Amino acid sequence: MIQVNDLRKEFKKTIKSPGLMGSVKSLFNRKYEVVKAVDGVTFEVPEGEILGFIGPNGAGKSTVIKMLTGILTPTSGTLEINGQIPYKDRKKYVKEIGVVFGQRTQLWWDLPLTETFSVLKQIYQVEDTAYKKRFDFLNEVLDLNEFIKSPVRTLSLGQRMRADIAASMLHNPKVLFLDEPTIGLDVVVKDNIRKAIQEINATEKTTIILTTHDLNDIELLCKRIVMIDKGKLLYDGSLNKMKRNFGQAREVNLTLFHSADAEKFKFNENFNIGQDDLHSTIDHKNIKINFNTDKVTVSEMLNYILKTSEVRDIAVKDVDIEEIIRRVYKSEVTL
Amino acid sequence: MKNPFKTYSAFTKAGIQDAIAYRANFLGFFIGEIFYCFVMFFIWKAVFNSSNSPTFMGFSMIDMTLYLFLTNITVFLTDTDSSYAIGEEIRDGSISMRLIKPIKIDLSLLFFELGNKIIIISMVFIPIILGIETYRTIATGGIAFDIVQFLFFILSIVLSYLLSFYLNLAFGYLAFFLMNLWGFNMLKGAILRFLSGGAIPIAFLPIWLQGTLKIMPFASLNYTPVMIYMGKYTGTDLIYYIGLQFVWVIAFILLCKFIWHLAAKHLCVQGG
Repeated sequence: MIQVNDLRKEFKKTIKSPGLMGSVKSLFNRKYEVVKAVDGVTFEVPEGEILGFIGPNGAGKSTVIKMLTGILTPTSGTLEINGQIPYKDRKKYVKEIGVVFGQRTQLWWDLPLTETFSVLKQIYQVEDTAYKKRFDFLNEVLDLNEFIKSPVRTLSLGQRMRADIAASMLHNPKVLFLDEPTIGLDVVVKDNIRKAIQEINATEKTTIILTTHDLNDIELLCKRIVMIDKGKLLYDGSLNKMKRNFGQAREVNLTLFHSADAEKFKFNENFNIGQDDLHSTIDHKNIKINFNTDKVTVSEMLNYILKTSEVRDIAVKDVDIEEIIRRVYKSEVTL
Repeated sequence: MKNPFKTYSAFTKAGIQDAIAYRANFLGFFIGEIFYCFVMFFIWKAVFNSSNSPTFMGFSMIDMTLYLFLTNITVFLTDTDSSYAIGEEIRDGSISMRLIKPIKIDLSLLFFELGNKIIIISMVFIPIILGIETYRTIATGGIAFDIVQFLFFILSIVLSYLLSFYLNLAFGYLAFFLMNLWGFNMLKGAILRFLSGGAIPIAFLPIWLQGTLKIMPFASLNYTPVMIYMGKYTGTDLIYYIGLQFVWVIAFILLCKFIWHLAAKHLCVQGG
């Protein structure tokens, strides 16, 4: 059970004037501004749930995760995980959690994977029999045996990520934080990792908090999502509900033969709808159109495009998280 | 945690393997140090040859030779990576990975580095000490080795290392406030080497400076164990200087705790 209540984190940031003179000046006369990285976030996660924690870059996700894992102390607000306050007694608290930061590794770079595991076994004081059982399970789910004896620096990104997830699970944590566990991985590996996460959650009843930019991760793993932007909570609820609200969004990317043709397109005027429902950006020969399929169907859109100009390439796709958030933000929908 | 050794010995084991993985690197460094010793040796030899007196400020040429080699082996043994290691982790934010484990920052670094030291002791320290003793026996025409003195030297060198470790750790923690330490690290290295007697014996410096340096932590870093080995500190002097080392170790452990406490409050982890 995770409870987060009105959580806030402020950073003091030095303002540096531009250029060399600015650097010299800031050596002697520092000016600060206060940045509110997390600005009053409240949510709960029941035991055994996989929560998708999403938001665009710089939304404050990582800062929240860092506070939940005891790395950072909140400026104000409360947080409690299974009755413990992360920053109070860090050493005791972290025994019950596992953390994977997709962009970092907790493995020993120059040593074989087995060595990292035996260090972890020792620092978490895992008994031999429990360790063996645990390792067998993780090996089955994540296929570790094929590279367990290789130095970590020789592993591929996918292998390293599998190893990192295993490393965070060796001590059987009650809560697992996965910060972008599929970043930079190919489709097959992503799929394996998702399956592994699902299986870990199903067999061990581990509560999982998952941060990601990949909507597929969320779709396959999470029933519920929490979305934040600019340090504030934007959405807390089921994925289905969000899809009902925003799933109608599509994105069309097209490439023209001549950049001059771009001026022929007048999307908003043609469909007679506002910027909220249709938004286009033109970059030389490339045009990106985001629109709401409730107002304009995909076929209407394609029809109009093909009628208006010759086109080299067209792609239609689901909208990514950034786009949904942009829509939430623009239309100021209260959920 | 019931038995810290049980937990942290894993780090020592990893440290040993790490040192072995980088043995070529480390051998290169070592050969460089030996080379430096011989350069210094020939410079001092020239100084002694051109002087009329067989001793210089109470040091004979034999003393000076012993001093050079002992100082460098002591620097090699008590050298620590803690400032750089922690500074770098703070700078690039990877200190997070250390914080999410149920371990203490200082002990995990310390025990890891002990693994490195074990390799240095077996590969370098023992052969060098044998070499120094052989030289001393031949040069003085009799065995000067004193086991009691040697044990005090070992004790003193352990304290020197701990002092060096915590002094550098405190310095490394400054990265929380400065965010990049590279330039300061270079400056610190040069100052420490001079003030701890790593470049020339403290006894050669002006009297007023000697007194100050001997009380401050600098002499405890390097000069004290060397003086003990050479038999220049005996009796109450010996107890006094070892006691002083002990006091400085405690002081810097407390300083580290204090800085950490300050930093943890407005800790800012950089990057992703």
